[in-house]
Amino acid sequence: MSDFSIRADSVNVEEIMRRVRARIREKRGVDYTEEEIQELAAVKLEKFLDPQKVRSELLQHFQRTATAPPNFAFEDTTLFESHRGIVRVIRRLLGPILKLFFNPNPLVHALHIQSQLNTRNAQHADLSYELMHNLVVELTRVSIEVKNLKMRVESLSSRLDFDERRARALEGAVQYRPGAVPAEPPSAPEPPVRDEEGEAGAAGATGAAPGRSRRRRRRRGRRGGGGEPVPAGPQAPAETGSMVERAAPSDQAPADTSAAEPAAAGARTGEPGPARAAEGAEGPDEESGPFNQ
Amino acid sequence: MKLAVVVQRYGAEINGGAELHARYIAEHLARHAEIEVLTTCARDYITWRNELTPGLDEVNGVPVRRFPVQRERDPGQFGRRSRRVFEERHSLGDELAWLESEGPASRALVEHVRASRQRYDYFLFFSYRYYHAYHGARAVSDRAVLVPTAERDEAIGLAIFPPVFRGVRAIMYNSFEERAMIQAVSGNGAVPGVVVGIGSDIPERVEPARFRQKHGIAGPYAIYVGRIDENKGCSELFTFFQHYARRRRHPLTLVLAGNPVIPIPPHPLIRHLGFVSDEDKFDAVAGAELLIMPSRLESLSMVTLEAWALGRPVLANGTCDVLKGQCLRSNAGLYYENEAEFVEALYMLEANRPLARALGERGLAYYQRHYAWPVIERKYTDMLEQLEREPVVEASTRRLEPLPGWWERRRPRLPPTRQVMADVPAGPAVVQTAESGQ
Repeated sequence: MSDFSIRADSVNVEEIMRRVRARIREKRGVDYTEEEIQELAAVKLEKFLDPQKVRSELLQHFQRTATAPPNFAFEDTTLFESHRGIVRVIRRLLGPILKLFFNPNPLVHALHIQSQLNTRNAQHADLSYELMHNLVVELTRVSIEVKNLKMRVESLSSRLDFDERRARALEGAVQYRPGAVPAEPPSAPEPPVRDEEGEAGAAGATGAAPGRSRRRRRRRGRRGGGGEPVPAGPQAPAETGSMVERAAPSDQAPADTSAAEPAAAGARTGEPGPARAAEGAEGPDEESGPFNQ
Repeated sequence: MKLAVVVQRYGAEINGGAELHARYIAEHLARHAEIEVLTTCARDYITWRNELTPGLDEVNGVPVRRFPVQRERDPGQFGRRSRRVFEERHSLGDELAWLESEGPASRALVEHVRASRQRYDYFLFFSYRYYHAYHGARAVSDRAVLVPTAERDEAIGLAIFPPVFRGVRAIMYNSFEERAMIQAVSGNGAVPGVVVGIGSDIPERVEPARFRQKHGIAGPYAIYVGRIDENKGCSELFTFFQHYARRRRHPLTLVLAGNPVIPIPPHPLIRHLGFVSDEDKFDAVAGAELLIMPSRLESLSMVTLEAWALGRPVLANGTCDVLKGQCLRSNAGLYYENEAEFVEALYMLEANRPLARALGERGLAYYQRHYAWPVIERKYTDMLEQLEREPVVEASTRRLEPLPGWWERRRPRLPPTRQVMADVPAGPAVVQTAESGQ
């Protein structure tokens, strides 16, 4: 709207109307003009409508059949009319004699009513044609719109599928955010004390859920019979690191010692390692964290 | 100077376009000349029933002489005769019969005009299409000034009228489109004529807040003022407005002021107020975002001029040549020819307030330049003075052509008027010097 001049002396209605029409054309975009819709309604209905239900030549057919012969106006003087005045006068004079033979009044009355009925029917035919025409045009317009909307829904649904797949794939990837947590001094001499309070404090500092740390420790504790025992000491820094684990079900891997060792190494150097994901996805009982749902 | 204003109905409570036009002109010319109004006893323009007392009366200080109508209109007969002349090949006699059916057939009025030709310097006949104007102008053609108030309908194509357009002393047109149309059907370029139109009695002070409070209207609104009728384009207006309301999140309310002839669709954004007083009307128009004028047949549209006089923009039906021409000449209103244009133009006027304000300012300037009362009065007095100065010889060359003979009047040689109208050029009149004056 801002592109319109607003000084009263420079207002030009013709120019504004040109812009109004341009805006209408822009809004329509790939839409059809009135003329195109008329053309489509008349010719190409089968492309948009069910051809078994609506015939594309319907309008032409209706128009052809709706052309009625011209109506004949019948008044009380019609029987006696003539383009010659003298004949008309004579007929009128002889009218009373005619009425001695039969009564023309019911005939005149009936034909007058018939004439009115014909007029009314002709008007109805015109209205029906207009109604039919508008309905077909509107039906075509709606069909085109439905078709466009269907295409749009399909497009949106495929984009939604793609987004869902992408989200799942991202959940499976491990992302490292180096600035999220202040770096641990590399020469930390002693592992933190592994009591409950210390763990909670570490988890709070890293932003990792305390429950997750507890679960990991629990898992490692249970893993004893399955493989080589993992030393608890070097694991501790990994618990307080900035690694965020996301394990998709497809990323599940058997927990073995070969995986556990690099994981421990990665944790120590502060670098991401694929084994951490494997570690986090050891069993179904661990998949309750917010990242694993 | 003594003038007679001859019009089909007259009264303070009669608000038809031509009748109100005649009353305003009579009241304003009363300051410059001695005026008497000659009219019928009818109040209803459909039946022409005699409802007012015949004889002398006075309306707002102007003497009024009323004459009875001989017979009420028979709608069936009028319909049949209208079909005959509009749609079929017919004779001049058919057209005269149509005029008789249309009414208001008051021979007493025409006889008075004929008998009192010496009493008045000029007769101002309003509405060419009615009985009183046709027969009255024929009776005193050398003193007749016609205010045709013609619309682009079938009646203008009837063969009985061109001799009147060619035979009167002068014609006061409402618009350039009307003048172009009448000149096209009658070839009356030699008859003195001027595009005048009509002013309005705009109150000095309007209070939109009073109107809002009285009718409980909040928020922005568009207004339509006039009879709510199919012929006025109201059905189309309702359809278009409902489409607009569906498409906009915060649409305008449509306020309707006038008597309904057709049902008004129930819609939360359409408010019908019924007939309102002039005070309410002006308050309502002044408070509106815009005035909508959906009529296809207008000879001028006084309410459009009133909206401009109040500085409000107008959205008009562009299929009406006069309204479109007025919008283009004034640069004070937008127009539409289909639903999409209606929606977009209404949105533009609603959303772009600076534009709406600028259009309103142009409207006010246009009104003051062309339709303020001093301008209108001057155009009338100038024309009458010009007629006074006109040489008698020149005036007599434009004597009204006599009606053809008895046989000729009955020969069905005239084409249907719809066919005639199809050949008359349409569209808004292009006026090179619109800014310089009409």
